[in-house]
Amino acid sequence: MEVTVRIPTPLRTLTGGEEAVKASGETVRQVIEQLEKNHPGMRDRLMDEKGVRRFVNIYVGDEDIRFLDGLETKLKGGEELSIVPAIAGG
Amino acid sequence: MGAGGLGCPAAIALADAGLERLVLADDDCVEESNLHRQILFDDDDVGRDKLEAAEQRLYERGAFPGSVELVRTRFLPDNARLLARSVDVVVEGSDNFATKFLAADACHLERTPVVHGAAVRWTATIWAVAAEGAPCYRCLFEDVPQGDAPNCAEAGVFGPVVGLAGALMADLALRVLSGGAPFGALFSYSGKTDALRAVEVAPRADCALCSARARIGEIDELRYTAPSCSA
Repeated sequence: MEVTVRIPTPLRTLTGGEEAVKASGETVRQVIEQLEKNHPGMRDRLMDEKGVRRFVNIYVGDEDIRFLDGLETKLKGGEELSIVPAIAGG
Repeated sequence: MGAGGLGCPAAIALADAGLERLVLADDDCVEESNLHRQILFDDDDVGRDKLEAAEQRLYERGAFPGSVELVRTRFLPDNARLLARSVDVVVEGSDNFATKFLAADACHLERTPVVHGAAVRWTATIWAVAAEGAPCYRCLFEDVPQGDAPNCAEAGVFGPVVGLAGALMADLALRVLSGGAPFGALFSYSGKTDALRAVEVAPRADCALCSARARIGEIDELRYTAPSCSA
């Protein structure tokens, strides 16, 4: 199940500047694991021992995975995953 | 809140809209590193009190006579509720997480709508929270990040992106005042692709601030500790 993952600016240092990358997985968790393989360090920026970090939101399309099945949210392929971290600055 | 990169364009847009009362809160002086994005100031203002310079510039632009009020302080635990209570809508353009969460809590407790804005490098996020509060900032980002969240001091801020975010904050604030604000829609803007995206944020069932199981009923300064941006 290949999906497109939109990478927020603060995490693009891990993707060589790419703002969108492809990744595969049947669930959001599996996609994050593949992101970690391709872009080491990504998992720790998104997750801690409790799950998705509390200042990070992950969307499948327009749906926040918190209101789906969290990290076990199933993917059909072709979706767009958006990572929205809290940012402060201005 | 904050006469910085977000607050300057927001203040211009709000003053130019003819508001009869515009309260600016800040306690900084203008620094040279501010000038690329804090568009109320120029070279001659470096070292000046930000509020004084901002007030002068807004009146020069035609702000409604007597409309600009200056509050020479940061949003702090001991004044946050009073400041939130004193206005019809808060435009929160602070540069650090502690103040964002403090503003969110104070506005919710005082039932004052708030427009939050933030920008780091090429990305900006903007969203409005209604007086009744749900979804609120804590529905989106539960608590003050510690240590490893991105901040503008490390990542930098790109002037045009901040300017656009400030203008969008003013747009949302005016829509709050006039009715019809898109509460709950989180807007994200990318200065690299010029894409403005909106996602709907739902209230968090266990939100510490706005849910039926809310635990925050007052401002406790221990809840707000995070470094601020020095850029």
